[in-house]
Amino acid sequence: MSRLFKIAFREYLAYVRTPGFWLSILLLPLGVTAYGLAPILMARSTPTAVLAVVDFSGRGLTGDVARAVAAPGPEDRPLARLVPAPGAPFANSAEATARLKPYLSGVRTLPGGGRLEAAAILRAAGATVAIDFWSRNVADRSLERTVSEAVTQSLRRERLRAAGIDAGVLASIDALSPHVADFSPKAERGVVALKDRLPGIAGFAMGMLLWMVVLTGAGMLLNSVIEEKSSRILEVLLSSASVPEIMGGKILGVAAVTGTVLLFWLSIAGAVLAIRFPDIAGDLAAILLAKGLWAYFALYFLGGYLMFATLYVTIGAFCETTREAQTLLGPMMILMSIPMIFMSQALTRPDAPLLAALSWFPPFTPFMMAARAASEPPLWQVAATASLMFALTALELWVAIPAFKSGALATGRFDLHHFLRSLARRGGA
Amino acid sequence: MAAALVLEGVTKRYGAFTAVDDLTFTAGAGRIMGFLGPNGAGKTSTLRMALGLIAPTSGRVEVLGCDDAAKVRSRIGFLPEERGLYRRMTPVAAIAFLAGLKGVPRREAHRRARALLEAHGLADAAQRQIRSLSKGMAQKVQLLSALAHEPDLVILDEPFSGLDPVNQQSLETLIRDLARRGASVIFSTHVMQHAERVCDQVVLLAAGRKVFDGTVEAARAAAPRALVVEGDFDPASLADLPGLGDLASEAGEAGAVRVTATLLPGAPAQAMLAAAFAKGLAISRFELREPRLHDAFIVLTARGAP
Repeated sequence: MSRLFKIAFREYLAYVRTPGFWLSILLLPLGVTAYGLAPILMARSTPTAVLAVVDFSGRGLTGDVARAVAAPGPEDRPLARLVPAPGAPFANSAEATARLKPYLSGVRTLPGGGRLEAAAILRAAGATVAIDFWSRNVADRSLERTVSEAVTQSLRRERLRAAGIDAGVLASIDALSPHVADFSPKAERGVVALKDRLPGIAGFAMGMLLWMVVLTGAGMLLNSVIEEKSSRILEVLLSSASVPEIMGGKILGVAAVTGTVLLFWLSIAGAVLAIRFPDIAGDLAAILLAKGLWAYFALYFLGGYLMFATLYVTIGAFCETTREAQTLLGPMMILMSIPMIFMSQALTRPDAPLLAALSWFPPFTPFMMAARAASEPPLWQVAATASLMFALTALELWVAIPAFKSGALATGRFDLHHFLRSLARRGGA
Repeated sequence: MAAALVLEGVTKRYGAFTAVDDLTFTAGAGRIMGFLGPNGAGKTSTLRMALGLIAPTSGRVEVLGCDDAAKVRSRIGFLPEERGLYRRMTPVAAIAFLAGLKGVPRREAHRRARALLEAHGLADAAQRQIRSLSKGMAQKVQLLSALAHEPDLVILDEPFSGLDPVNQQSLETLIRDLARRGASVIFSTHVMQHAERVCDQVVLLAAGRKVFDGTVEAARAAAPRALVVEGDFDPASLADLPGLGDLASEAGEAGAVRVTATLLPGAPAQAMLAAAFAKGLAISRFELREPRLHDAFIVLTARGAP
């Protein structure tokens, strides 16, 4: 057993001492932070758009448009600043268009300096109003939509007033909206709160996390074994330790590496949650502890990692190069993408029959069961799917231990016949 | 004292191919045994069976008095034919890690690693990454990693391959030192000179079968001695001299002729020389050439070929 830990410790140090490890451990939090801050930084660094409205509709819509664009937007600042149309008044919309174009294209600047970002030319069009919206930024349609919505609301109010509806009544009608309360028998207090939705979110997050850990951890294991196989270190290791010690040491070592990364990431996420959203952090901690979700996740995390790690280590023992391994892992990656597709569905329908059915296929079990956490699968299902998963892992190990030895001692390119024969015969080096 | 390695009727088959066929030999404790044979003779398969890395198809393998090599693996040091170490580790860490796997406590493993590196002129490289070392230095580090746990049995698979003459010489010295310390050394090679200089015992394998097992002297005796006669005479005149086998002539120095003749088993060289003088042949040089292990290797492998 001490040899297993020595191999695990060496494996752990080999990764922790590389710059790549520290890059990967720091890049995700930095990336998430950048992802969260990017819209705020973008908004702050972009000046408020300057809009000119030319109203030929005869309905006096400029005031409504001005109020709409001046209202604070998602970034807590006005969407646009209304300025008088430079060169106004205009005889018609065609003249307005022709006179405003130089300002919009940047050839001319506004009288007080600055650039005109957009112009809305409103004109009568039968019973309604046509809007010619000119903008320098064709990608961002938020200002166009706001102007359009302001005009729509203004026309609606005008029509309702014309139909004899009093302005006060109109305001009270607009204010009407039902008070909706979510109830569920599964909710702790009957009324559904964020706390009741947290298991679903946590399940999805754990499923995704496990998927990432399996991919990165198994990839690390694969590369590590290939390196040792191609440099013949495996042969020396085999003369010093048993196959279970070598495989176990490598799997444990990489688990410790990914565990360190996960611990770091989860600590940061936990700290951010605790500081910014202490209520959510408290609820999450309570759910994980009170409902035993941590044990549920740990069970499938452990089973899933062992199942895939064993497979990858064994494949690595038969490959001299990463390219050979990639050829073998192609079908594996297709298989691994299937749980990804269904895990997101579990967010809204964690008790869907198809998800329950997929949970019984051991390679999908850890991901699907993690994602189904919110539906609180019955205990017999948890016990049965976990047993199946661990039974497959045990079968894998039973086949993989002699196959690993056979592969590790073989030389030359990957030989599918040798691989299958080794699996079928439990070795036969 | 138990023998270091005993093989009894060991056969190893890979499918229809027989790599080792009914092999029996004993490597004595505290002795140096050369495991000789051409490429593909079954040497590596035999060593892997001795190490317990692969199981024999039939027969019995006993290592250091134990039927299961796994139980005595901490008493065995092994250097594989194709070498490699963790490229990003330092020599000290690599040697200490492998010694640790053999049961040497961590601190002691590091102490031994440093001492071994210093003793073999690698003290300056002790803390450099292995990938920055020369090939010869890295090979030496790997050899030391097989010895740091002070094994009772050292198995070296083609240890001389890839080494320059200076390092080959120092490896020979190291092997002798190991034997002096009481360790048993088994190494495979197809370069006879090393085995001839170092081994107490040689086992010769050809096509998976043992063709010789004994001392270097006994192996040499399997090949005929040769006489080299040089002078001014007709080579054909040697044909009827007593005790000579095949003759091969070539031009010697200063217009003389040089004849190399195999001496028939048991034939005294002096009798042939006396007969030549009696016949009045003008002989200027006469040399009795003892067979080398290389000659024995060729004769024995040819004899053992299927």
